[in-house]
Amino acid sequence: MAVVKYYASLRNVVGKKEEQIEVASLSELLQRLSQMYEGRLARHLKTTTVLVNGKNVIHLKGRRTPLGKDDIVSLFPPLGGG
Amino acid sequence: MGTKYGGYMGRYLDIDLSTGKVTDYEVSDEDKELYLGSKGLGARILYDNLRKGVDPLGPENVLIVNTGPLVGSGAPCTSRFNISTKSPLTGAILSSNCGGNFGIHLKRAGVDGILVRGKADKPTRIHISEEKVEFLDASDLWGMDTEETQEKLPARAGKIVIGPAGENGVLFANIISQERAAGRGGAGAVMGSKNLKAITASGKKKVSVVRQAEFEKDVKKWISILKAHPTTSETLPAYGTGIFVNRCNATNTLPTHNFKRGSFEEADAVSGEALADTMLEKNFGCVSCVIKCGRRVKVEGKEVKGPEYETLGLLGPNLENPDLERICEWNYIADLMGMDTVSLGNTLGFAMELNERGLWESGLSFGKTDGIAEAIENIARREGIGDELALGVRHLSEKYGGREFAMHSKGMEFPSYEPRGAVGHGLGYAISNRGGCHLGGGYFIYFEATGPITMDPHTTRSKPEFVAMFQTLLDAVSSAGNCQFTSFALIPKQALELKPYGAIYRTISKVMEGAGPILKLVLKQPGIMPFTLPGELIPHPKNISDLTGMRMTMGNLLAAGLRGYLIERMFNVREGFSSRDDSLPERVTREGQGGNPKWVVPLDKMLPRYYDVRGLDERGIPKPQTLSRLGVKV
Repeated sequence: MAVVKYYASLRNVVGKKEEQIEVASLSELLQRLSQMYEGRLARHLKTTTVLVNGKNVIHLKGRRTPLGKDDIVSLFPPLGGG
Repeated sequence: MGTKYGGYMGRYLDIDLSTGKVTDYEVSDEDKELYLGSKGLGARILYDNLRKGVDPLGPENVLIVNTGPLVGSGAPCTSRFNISTKSPLTGAILSSNCGGNFGIHLKRAGVDGILVRGKADKPTRIHISEEKVEFLDASDLWGMDTEETQEKLPARAGKIVIGPAGENGVLFANIISQERAAGRGGAGAVMGSKNLKAITASGKKKVSVVRQAEFEKDVKKWISILKAHPTTSETLPAYGTGIFVNRCNATNTLPTHNFKRGSFEEADAVSGEALADTMLEKNFGCVSCVIKCGRRVKVEGKEVKGPEYETLGLLGPNLENPDLERICEWNYIADLMGMDTVSLGNTLGFAMELNERGLWESGLSFGKTDGIAEAIENIARREGIGDELALGVRHLSEKYGGREFAMHSKGMEFPSYEPRGAVGHGLGYAISNRGGCHLGGGYFIYFEATGPITMDPHTTRSKPEFVAMFQTLLDAVSSAGNCQFTSFALIPKQALELKPYGAIYRTISKVMEGAGPILKLVLKQPGIMPFTLPGELIPHPKNISDLTGMRMTMGNLLAAGLRGYLIERMFNVREGFSSRDDSLPERVTREGQGGNPKWVVPLDKMLPRYYDVRGLDERGIPKPQTLSRLGVKV
């Protein structure tokens, strides 16, 4: 099961910091999240940055990035700071 | 005196504390066109007014406090002032930019900037009004903290003050305005060395606007962009800059254990989210700010300013400390004492590692919070070990050893980003003119680890070119008088909605890796961009044009940023700085992060390419043709 971690406003949307979800790829995870949170996440997912084990998925296989046991998926809204 | 351009008050004052003499200082319209104001123009004036080798804490050093044309104009996020001086921490040029309220009030007094020379014979406050400059006895304020000092000053005036750290020559003492700090490089100690406790300004003058109706339209649009953008309207107001704690932790860029590692198991406990959930009373912003990233928290029942990201990272994970309440308390003490929390966190972390390795029995240990509050006060008062800690990391490493893990460049300690997880950002630390700094170094981590669109954080492809480009842009934004946080909206909201995990972002990332030659061409010939971009992308040039009446294109804006960098560089060259000072400690260039030998900052690979794109020779010195092409006279 992949560990999905939520940050910033996404925590308020889903009401938790993290959860474990059984999926095989990022594409499947995004679909599952949309179903689980009934559209509440949809607006946010359009702008969400996704890291898998600390790497931005655009440097992996994008939506086709495989997810397996103990993979950590971090979901962030657009950030600014410093 | 005077100017043909809007946005400027047309007056700089040259104030000599030794003689009490005040004269007008001529800043030509040509210099305004070339350097705009604030950081760039401050560097130009400093270069013209210091000779080589001046003691930064001696009366010959000059402290410049100035503004940019947008300050006080009504444009968003323009309550800024800049400090330029020779840094006592580094011996290099220092520019430190700050919010607060002083910049706006200085312009209301009819003044764009001041040069302060000499040394007063007793503690002094300078007050600047439309009619005159007064030297007021500040003996009763000497020894007071920054909060109490400001409370004693006229409520309606703009203020900058120092605390005990500045009075006692702490090399990383800062200057405070309201609750904002011109933090880095020890400008507070320069004020203290001049017996200058505070500067206040007041008046009723207004900034003139050349194309009023057009400018008002620009400003309205700019505000609407910032208010609609998810970064500046949602994340920053809700979580503050501390939102980067978890993101940096996830990307191995959160300094932990004196930058030994890039992640901290308990990072979430000191994150922007934790701050918002547990301690946040409300957010706040500087005058004219529509973002309002500031935090207010309660410390011992009193509502005070909360910590920024840098403070959270460097007084938290960098010290292996997961105690958010302690960080808020230490941040408040440091603000009261008037010292930079970035250098403070580094210095404490370095002293802890020296202690751990048996090199210096500082009594400070990772994960141990007892005694830190006292240590901060001791630094400010120069008592006990505080007397040595007050001199920063470089001094400690020269005395006790550990240069390979002394996290500084040119003597300035690193901000809260572990550069092995973002190598372009690491290059920025090395080549920043004021020393190890993210803002002076182009802040490229935003495009490597923390922003919505990132390049591979470990590749060097096009990184030198991008670092030079973003340095130039940020320098120009600062010189205009803007908060650099307006730059977070440069990636339009519409672009953020293209699903940052999808094919479009992957393609953009790859295109960026090959963009080096184009960026190099633009930086060599900024005149090839004789246009302004749509407001959604970079609204600054059009705003500056309509305010000042200057012909401000993207190319002209970049050229102003390029000149600012070059004149700063020439200041450092005159002081004897060269490529050997564009360096990083071995911890990040040789010690692979997490045991992976490939995860280092390959500085040797990037530095020559950076020099080339900047038009510097192999010693890091601007070539004569680079200076003449941009009209930088030295």
